[in-house]
Amino acid sequence: MAADWEEIRRLAADFQRAQFVDTVQRLSERNCIEIITQLVSEKKLDVVHTLDGKEYITPAQISREIRDELYVHGGRINIVDLQQIINVDWVHVENRASDIAKSDKGAQLVLGQLIDDTYLNRLAEEVNDKLQEAGLISIAELCKSYDLPGDFLTEELSKRLGRLIQGEMDQYNRGVIFTPAFVARHKAKIRGLFSAITRPTPVSSMMGAFGFQEHLLYSVLEELVNTGRLKGTVVGGRQDKAVYIPDIYSKTQNAWVDSFLQQNGYLEFDALVRLGIPEPSSYIKKRYKSSKLLFLRAACVGQALVDQVEASVEEAVNSDTWTDIQPILPSCLSMEDMGMLINQAMRNTNVQSSARVLGGTVVVSEKFISSCLSLFDEAMQQKAQKEVKNNPVFLITEEDLKPSNLMTESSAPSKKEKREAERRKKASEGSGSVKSGGGGNAREFRIRKTKKKGRKDEDSDEETGPSQQNRNKQTETPFMAQEEIVAVLEKRVNDCPEEILSELAEHLVRPLTKSYQEVLRSVFMSSSSSPSGANKKKSMKDLQEEISNLYNNIRLFEKGTKFFSDETQVLIAKHTLKTVCTDVTNILVNFLAADLMMSMENPGSITNEVRVKILGKLSEETKAPLMKLHNCLNGKTIEDFLTNIEISAEVCGFMLKKGDKKKERQALFLHRQALVEQLKETEDPALVLHLTCVLLFQASTNCMLHAPGRCVPQIIGTLTGRIPTEKQQLLSAYQSLVVKQLVSQSQGRKHEEAEGDAQEQDEEARSVRTQLMSMTPQIKDLVLSQRKTSVTEE
Amino acid sequence: MADESARRAVSQIPLLKTHAGPRDRALWPQRLKEEYQSLIRSVEQNKHEDNDWFRLESNPDGTRWTGTCWFIHELLRYEFRLEFDIPVTYPDTAPEVAVPELDGKTAKMYRGGRICLTDHFKPLWARNAPRFGLAHLMALGLAPWLAVEIPDLISKGHVVHRERPREEAQ
Repeated sequence: MAADWEEIRRLAADFQRAQFVDTVQRLSERNCIEIITQLVSEKKLDVVHTLDGKEYITPAQISREIRDELYVHGGRINIVDLQQIINVDWVHVENRASDIAKSDKGAQLVLGQLIDDTYLNRLAEEVNDKLQEAGLISIAELCKSYDLPGDFLTEELSKRLGRLIQGEMDQYNRGVIFTPAFVARHKAKIRGLFSAITRPTPVSSMMGAFGFQEHLLYSVLEELVNTGRLKGTVVGGRQDKAVYIPDIYSKTQNAWVDSFLQQNGYLEFDALVRLGIPEPSSYIKKRYKSSKLLFLRAACVGQALVDQVEASVEEAVNSDTWTDIQPILPSCLSMEDMGMLINQAMRNTNVQSSARVLGGTVVVSEKFISSCLSLFDEAMQQKAQKEVKNNPVFLITEEDLKPSNLMTESSAPSKKEKREAERRKKASEGSGSVKSGGGGNAREFRIRKTKKKGRKDEDSDEETGPSQQNRNKQTETPFMAQEEIVAVLEKRVNDCPEEILSELAEHLVRPLTKSYQEVLRSVFMSSSSSPSGANKKKSMKDLQEEISNLYNNIRLFEKGTKFFSDETQVLIAKHTLKTVCTDVTNILVNFLAADLMMSMENPGSITNEVRVKILGKLSEETKAPLMKLHNCLNGKTIEDFLTNIEISAEVCGFMLKKGDKKKERQALFLHRQALVEQLKETEDPALVLHLTCVLLFQASTNCMLHAPGRCVPQIIGTLTGRIPTEKQQLLSAYQSLVVKQLVSQSQGRKHEEAEGDAQEQDEEARSVRTQLMSMTPQIKDLVLSQRKTSVTEE
Repeated sequence: MADESARRAVSQIPLLKTHAGPRDRALWPQRLKEEYQSLIRSVEQNKHEDNDWFRLESNPDGTRWTGTCWFIHELLRYEFRLEFDIPVTYPDTAPEVAVPELDGKTAKMYRGGRICLTDHFKPLWARNAPRFGLAHLMALGLAPWLAVEIPDLISKGHVVHRERPREEAQ
């Protein structure tokens, strides 16, 4: 028991002792880190923790480790690798590494790698080994194999050239290192090769063929050329274009050029280019400074050749013929060059005015050309005669235009001046030129008028165009086509090449046309003046008779129209104006035209336009009334026309006799007679009806009628009451049949394709036709019998 | 209960074997020996883990224990006296630890500064009697109570560091 208590006391003592034992001073990891961070941040401690956070390391230790690693890795280590090995933040590694590179002379930082001298020395040794093996080594290659920047390598290696590396660097191109032996070998090769060259050779091709080093080649080549070891020159510098030209080649080249020029008298640039002279013209200029060479576009020509050309040109001009220069010129000259050469020769010989060049190479003297012109004189006369006979109206137009045109061309006067000039001309030339002068004025008048009308017809439109000259050209009567001229020339001029002829013809066309105009004019004047005198007198009487007759007829017709309603009157009047009145007008106009030597053989063929044209040429006093007359042809009343024609006839010098009773009756009789004749002949139902109506009308009213076919119903209408009813019925029946026929005809035309009721219509038409056939004689009888009665009446 | 580390710490405290109170003349010394051994063991362990937080000593009978305990809060060491008697029904009943200095300062305390361990500790002790001893009482009873109550009291200003008032006075 006591022992227990003793033990308890001992344990109590142990407990106390245990309690007062120092506690182990223990920091938790967290606290530790915190303390150190605190210390580092307060700059009391300089340590760096590793990336895994398990260790702290001092910068000095990092430096030491870096050095160790550098040594272990053979003097070259990447900072990235270093960072992984040391396992601290990259920034610290880099800082320490750069510190080392700065402080340590043997170490440097290149492209993020730490490199020291031992490594570089070893590298230099390696390079040297390679160099001795290959003879040449390029920095670029080394860059690739050692993965180092070129500048750095160049610098480091050049430091060690001569010590560790037995070789030298190209002075121009620092990218290559070679051994002296290699250089010597190369030099020998180049010397041999370039000595053997006899013609210009691009240096680059030599490089390709013989594997020369470009840098070395140029420097060696230059050296050899400069020292005179190689006879030749390098053209084009140190570029790809560089060409080596041996002296021997230039010598032969020059010799060839000299001899060619001497022999042929010219040099073709192309040939020189083929010889390898890049800029021929400058080369020639340099080489032949003293001699006079004529430079053309693609060649240059010697004095001798120029002289030759000059001589032949002169000869051609002097002998009034032509000469082809081409045979005496070298064939290689282009047309352009030949032209230049010939022009030069002509300038030199001063014959530009008396000769011209045709077809590029043929020199033709002007005299020769004019002699050619004279070949056409006869043909021209003949043609002019023919032309005058054919259509004088169009001729006279041009002829009349000419004086005024010529004047405008020569002096370009204003209109006023022109008129004045014309007046002067009139005064000086007398009556002959009055017409032409009047014509000129008339033309002006007409132009103004057409303008007012709004330029109705194309012809006048053209004439009012802005350029008179242009118009002149257009309206000129051509003499001959170019081909025709060529044909004529071919016959007359011997041994001329065809193209020259055609060109000559081209030259001749204008003057020929011009002279043709002259000839035409003179021929016309002479031809028209002769017959007019006698004929006129004779025809005057006939004309007067004819005009009077027609005039009276018109008056009678007019009287006839009075029986009708207004509308019908207008219709009939228009018809009359279109036919009979127009005839009268035409006769009058033609008469006047004859005065102007442009009468037509058949006055009936004068159309509206022709009439206007002729009227345009007339003198003022005659023109005005005739113009009115012409205008009223398009009017509606015959009265206007009658008054106008009286005035016009007076102006023209005709007396219009107003018919007396006897004459009137005679006219009536003649008219009817004519109609009856016509009626007897015709079988066409429509015409029969028409004629019958007209005749019946005349018989019943004793008035002549000149009406269009479509007025037949109206005529029949007026006839009612004047003829017996049976006749009337017969007439209207016939008329309805005629209408039916006409209608069916027009319908038949319409329905030609649709054959549905064609047969029906056919049948109908046939029946109508048969009816008409049967009735026609009856109808005819109506008139013919009446004629008898009327005749008996008379 | 306390966190994982505390539980592990407690598990390292040797359990007791003898079921005897102070009245049991024959076996009490045996029990007291075991108490001492377990205390020594736990103190050594605490020191080893930098977790030394109390001093204890007993009267020769081993029935009344006194000592100090301390708590470190915000780098300041707060030290308190502590005392307790071994109840006659020990080890069935846990001793009632008292911290007289804190008497009346907190609700979790009985009159006389005896800390209130009713909720958690009593059932635990009852389950583990008689194997739990004084070392367990300290580790599982007083230590959690201090860890909870002292920071609260400090924040409320009921407990003031002994040097702080001086600093404030200055």
